[in-house]
Amino acid sequence: MAMLVPSQILPQTGETRRLLVKWVIAFLVPVLVFTLVWSGEAMLNAALLAIFFPANFSVSTLAAGLFMLLFYGIILGLVGYLVAADSGRQGMIDLWISMFFFTVVPILLIYITANLFVGLAASVVVWVIYYYGRRLVQLFLSSPSLPPLPSLTVLDTEMRATLTTRARLGSFWFALLFSLVWLLADLLFYFTGQYGQASLLFLIWIVLRTVLLPVAGWLLGGVGGQIAVRHALQANGNGGNGDRSDTPVSTRRLRLLSATRAREEARDLVPNDLPLRSTGARNFYIWLLVALLLFYPMIDPFLFGAGTNARLDNYANAGYYVILALGLNIVVGFAGLLDLGYVAFFVIGAYTWAMVGSPQLTVLTGIRINPEIWPWLFWPMLIVAALIAALWGVLLGAPTLRLRGDYLAIVTLGFGEIIPIVVQNLDKYTNGTNGLTGIYSPAFFGVRWNVSTSEPYYYLILVLIAIVLLANVRLRDSRIGRAWVAMREDEIAAASSGINLTRTKLLAFAAGAFFSGIAGAYYAAKLSTVASGNFSFSDSVIYLAMVVLGGLGSIPGVVVGALVVYAVNVLVLPQLDALGNDPTSIIYPIYTHILQVIPNFSFSNIRNLIFGIILVVLMIFRPEGLIPSTRRRRELHRAEFEGAEITSLDTPPGAPGFESEIHVE
Amino acid sequence: MDFLTKTIRLIIEGLVTGSIYSLVALGYTMVYGIIELINFAHGDIFMMGTLVTLLLVTNVFHLSNASAMPLGNLLLMLVVSFLASTVICALLGVLIERVAYRPLRNAPRLAPLISAIGVSLALEDTAKAIIGPSAVTTPPLIPLVNYSWGPILLHNTDIIVLIVAVLLMVGLQWLVTSTRIGRAMRAVAQDREAAALMGVNVDQVIAFTFLVGAGIAGAGGFFFLLWSNDTSFNIGFELGLFAFTAAVLGGIGNLVGAMLGGLAIGLIRSLMALWPETPPFGLPHGGVSWQDAAVFAILILILVFRPTGLLGQQLAEKV
Repeated sequence: MAMLVPSQILPQTGETRRLLVKWVIAFLVPVLVFTLVWSGEAMLNAALLAIFFPANFSVSTLAAGLFMLLFYGIILGLVGYLVAADSGRQGMIDLWISMFFFTVVPILLIYITANLFVGLAASVVVWVIYYYGRRLVQLFLSSPSLPPLPSLTVLDTEMRATLTTRARLGSFWFALLFSLVWLLADLLFYFTGQYGQASLLFLIWIVLRTVLLPVAGWLLGGVGGQIAVRHALQANGNGGNGDRSDTPVSTRRLRLLSATRAREEARDLVPNDLPLRSTGARNFYIWLLVALLLFYPMIDPFLFGAGTNARLDNYANAGYYVILALGLNIVVGFAGLLDLGYVAFFVIGAYTWAMVGSPQLTVLTGIRINPEIWPWLFWPMLIVAALIAALWGVLLGAPTLRLRGDYLAIVTLGFGEIIPIVVQNLDKYTNGTNGLTGIYSPAFFGVRWNVSTSEPYYYLILVLIAIVLLANVRLRDSRIGRAWVAMREDEIAAASSGINLTRTKLLAFAAGAFFSGIAGAYYAAKLSTVASGNFSFSDSVIYLAMVVLGGLGSIPGVVVGALVVYAVNVLVLPQLDALGNDPTSIIYPIYTHILQVIPNFSFSNIRNLIFGIILVVLMIFRPEGLIPSTRRRRELHRAEFEGAEITSLDTPPGAPGFESEIHVE
Repeated sequence: MDFLTKTIRLIIEGLVTGSIYSLVALGYTMVYGIIELINFAHGDIFMMGTLVTLLLVTNVFHLSNASAMPLGNLLLMLVVSFLASTVICALLGVLIERVAYRPLRNAPRLAPLISAIGVSLALEDTAKAIIGPSAVTTPPLIPLVNYSWGPILLHNTDIIVLIVAVLLMVGLQWLVTSTRIGRAMRAVAQDREAAALMGVNVDQVIAFTFLVGAGIAGAGGFFFLLWSNDTSFNIGFELGLFAFTAAVLGGIGNLVGAMLGGLAIGLIRSLMALWPETPPFGLPHGGVSWQDAAVFAILILILVFRPTGLLGQQLAEKV
């Protein structure tokens, strides 16, 4: 079976060894740092003790050990994949430096600061410096950018076999070296007597591990290699010469193909000049991320020590911001309708569960529900709250359909202002500014829900985010999603192409409001209290900042944007204030100087100043956001180019310099 | 106070606040007319006007009791703070246009709008950092005099604000209709490219529009503080929304419409206070609690049934 791949990936005898060295060392350093310096080994050892000594038994420790096994498994597969997918065009040293900055630096920084967000924020600073420093060095050396993808050559059965073997070898050598270094380190510990009670057990484990890891590397490397080869086939389908008479075209492959085409992502071509960024590698990252998120509550104590509950609480709160941002992204990002009153739907969702799921129901209607069953109502009410919010979305959307974008912004803003006023004034039902209290948490089999334990909420929001993400992705790629984007880009053209604007806009409003309603119901259940004073226009603006920062219309961008804004808002600014008030910190003198000039200064107070400046700067320099969607980026760049033609003249006719402004082509 | 006295007083207050809304609405309508941008930051420029006055009056002139102040000093204080708030706001308006809007003139519609929201947030929090998050009160800027004829009760501040507002509006109307630069503004509003081809310096005209609009808002800020004696960092946001509603009510892009719309919104808001709490048609907590909601409801209703406003004309969207 003959397939086409770029010729440079063809195995050349000298190349294989170089590739192995390149990737094995690139991965050896970060994995070793994580295992030996940070908590990796501690988790495995705790799990071992939990298995063999009933006194130490705990499910969460076992889960942490399981996570480590998954972690190593995924890494082994990834190494195999990368060795097979590499076209050898990124230099070895270059890769090592990049890997150092993007893996070792954040691991060390988070480890040193013992705080995920502070560590990540510091890493971001390092990354920005690295990125621009690198560009400067490249400019200085005037090294040419990577050459374009070379011409296509035949990938036959023999070469596929070679690629798979190469993957196996890569993963095997990585596992072997890794386990040997680990063995040396542990033997050192062993003979210095660090392992008290279970030293024999650990000796067996160390030996077993050293034997098993390379075997696992061989097997998993093969899997990674096959994934790389499969992606190569796909790449061929996207840009081949049409000669696939010997390959039956499956529906699945056609679907993949159309998805690739729709996203117009040339990087789907594997082998790739930057294999770390290819789609295949991305799948490994996603698996790694999913494993991390699922096991996070169990591994958190190993990573950061005491205080897991408070941290999980923060993450569970960050979660509903993610849902809100994803919902708003549908309205603003996909459909291009600027909604400045998004908080209204959140309020509606929150009050729906607050009024049904609290004693207020009995006060208002006299209905009494068995307190055993009452919390279970959360699940149907989650949907009901979302539907009610969606209904309001349609009700609000319907009258604004005839309006142009900026009027729409004002109407939604007005609506966002009215809803809290209404909630406040109808205190007979909503209890006004005092709010509703005693709202029930959800109930689920075998789970103890409690306002003070965050773990169930963490998993609940994880599930909700997963559902909303899936829905968002499916919506984006669906017929209606494409209609939204078409409408955003040009309403008149979209209408001329047969898109029912009314229906499309209303659906966008309804979908956005639906997700906001889900977030609202979750919020009410988690906080167990809602009050009208908690919602305002500035919340709507914060949601907008999340979407704009991440990248309008880009789902991963919006998730990252939500997390960044939440972190800055809730974690970083109060942290800075605390540091500023602490006489021993570095920023204390600066802080006191500012306070002398501006007595009311605090970092939390100027939150909106920061977000405001970010919004303006982003709009001017990077309107597509941090992680833009491909389509949006193209749209914006096209607008830039067209803009050059229709601008007015800077120089009036007759004035000096006028002639040079006119270009005749 | 009997019902008639109360009603007349409410009408007067409505007219005064309405004329301040009108002053701010003029800026919205001018900017929208010329570059089709809702200048979200405009209300905050107004707020900056009140802030400049506040800082000058309390920190430079150390006002504590206006009637005890020598007349010369009092007049100096009023003139200086009026000029300062007008000029600083006008320059601020030009600066904002230069930094946040001009680079985005050919960007997709959403971009300048989001940029405007960003400017608005930044201005608000700058003010919050300076005067703190709660409302700030000044002593009366001029000795308060009350005039009373039967049921009519008037303060001297009411009269000053009304007269100045009318003067400013007439002045602006004259500027736009009867001067060279006014003609250029109308030309740019009608067709930017054609105006450029006729030799109008479009950038300069747009900057001038911002200068005038922001200057009037700054003056409005001064008179607002003179009249109400209090301000806060977020006063501009709310008042800006009312003023924008006024501009939409009158037909956006239409100066006379903005003036009348401002007065109408001021009156409606003020008269909402008469709405009783008692059934059958009562509102919970009385009309006062629903004043803001009423304005937004009006805004939504106008946009739904007559998006061009009361005095605006129907324009087809350009392809």
